[in-house]
Amino acid sequence: MNNIVRHSLRFVWVILLQVLLFNNLHWLGIAHPYIYILFLLFLPASLPRWTEMLIGAFTGVIMDIACSSPGVHMSACVAIAYLRPLLLRRLVQEVERIDTEIRSYTIGLQPFVVLCAILIPLHHAMVVVLEAWNLHMFGWQVLSILLSSILTMVLVLLFDRTK
Amino acid sequence: MRNLVQFIVRNSHFLLFIVLEVVAFLLIITRQAYPRSTMMTAANSVSAGVNGGADYMAQYFGLRSDNMQLNDEVCRLQAEVERLTNLLEGQTETDSAAAGYQYAHLGYQMIPAKVIDIATGNERNYLTLNKGLRDHIEVGQGVIEGNSVVGIVSSVNEHFSLVVPVIHIGTHLSSRIAKNGYIGFTRWSGVDSRHAQLTEIGRHIEVMPGDSVITSGLTATFPEGLMIGVIERADLDEGDDYYRIRMRLTTDFKRLRYVQVLANPMADEMQSIQQR
Repeated sequence: MNNIVRHSLRFVWVILLQVLLFNNLHWLGIAHPYIYILFLLFLPASLPRWTEMLIGAFTGVIMDIACSSPGVHMSACVAIAYLRPLLLRRLVQEVERIDTEIRSYTIGLQPFVVLCAILIPLHHAMVVVLEAWNLHMFGWQVLSILLSSILTMVLVLLFDRTK
Repeated sequence: MRNLVQFIVRNSHFLLFIVLEVVAFLLIITRQAYPRSTMMTAANSVSAGVNGGADYMAQYFGLRSDNMQLNDEVCRLQAEVERLTNLLEGQTETDSAAAGYQYAHLGYQMIPAKVIDIATGNERNYLTLNKGLRDHIEVGQGVIEGNSVVGIVSSVNEHFSLVVPVIHIGTHLSSRIAKNGYIGFTRWSGVDSRHAQLTEIGRHIEVMPGDSVITSGLTATFPEGLMIGVIERADLDEGDDYYRIRMRLTTDFKRLRYVQVLANPMADEMQSIQQR
């Protein structure tokens, strides 16, 4: 019960922070960090996979409503929610035993960084490409995905340091 | 049959994943086909309410520059009043351009509105205004800032409206080079919120950097003569039929706060005769 409250609270402040602050900052006019996905990255490993995917879809829909981009964030979030348990099983031994949330201090720094380094660029690439719905600015899109992913990565690791 | 059930049970997670992704892609594709639905956009009341609240707090931070902007506007209007008074008293020169401009404005009503949310960094940008159906805003009306074009209203609900700005990759705005009256189309290719392109200007036309690009007046949305931008470069390679024209937009979308929505009472009549 305590866990549900904790994650729900995190959901609220992460979405508010994303919509009110980070959606309005465009560093260098090209990098758009989507830090709200830290909510999905931190979810406990003990969560059933179908629950995790539904939570991912819901998170995406909320972001889509805030960003006027129907389907875009939903698709990217569902992909993260589907792939995260698969990756965790490869990266961490006996991950089922960890019943707290997934953080660097529960699964170790290296697996956590690898997890982020795979899922964050994947999410950003899906958002950028699906939002534009074409590839005619391909070079620019790749640069945007790279810079945004680096920024999100740094921010997620910073948030990970706080309790 | 048993095999099928077994298959579904064994792959249930993957199947759920596929179902959710299909729903998401349907939403994306529907957006491409029906860009006017407000349900899943920032103009729905919850989202617009949050953004409106944030804007209400944020507006105090901009008071200083707002005052300066208002002051500039007052000075400009005073100069305008002076000029028009002189024109009326003298009656010596007939400024045909000014007269035409006034005439075109006669049919339009202006509804002032405030921008409460704006995206300028994407390829499909949008802005949200704090006025909606209740203030007689309708889909298809033009949005301007002073004398320059901002965009076109794409969806409306009771209190808010969503505007597709010139800086949107779907833009296809009928435009005219002010100097010689030739018609082209304003388009935008992404990335740069300060510049756009003018297309379909043939090679026989004389185009110079510094020429103004204005609305053509051929659609019901905008009257003729509103500023779109100023030509910065006009390239013409051997064998090109059309210029490649880059213009600097008059509207600075990153600083946009107050806009006016143009209501044209004759719009329906004009469109119905054009469709015949």
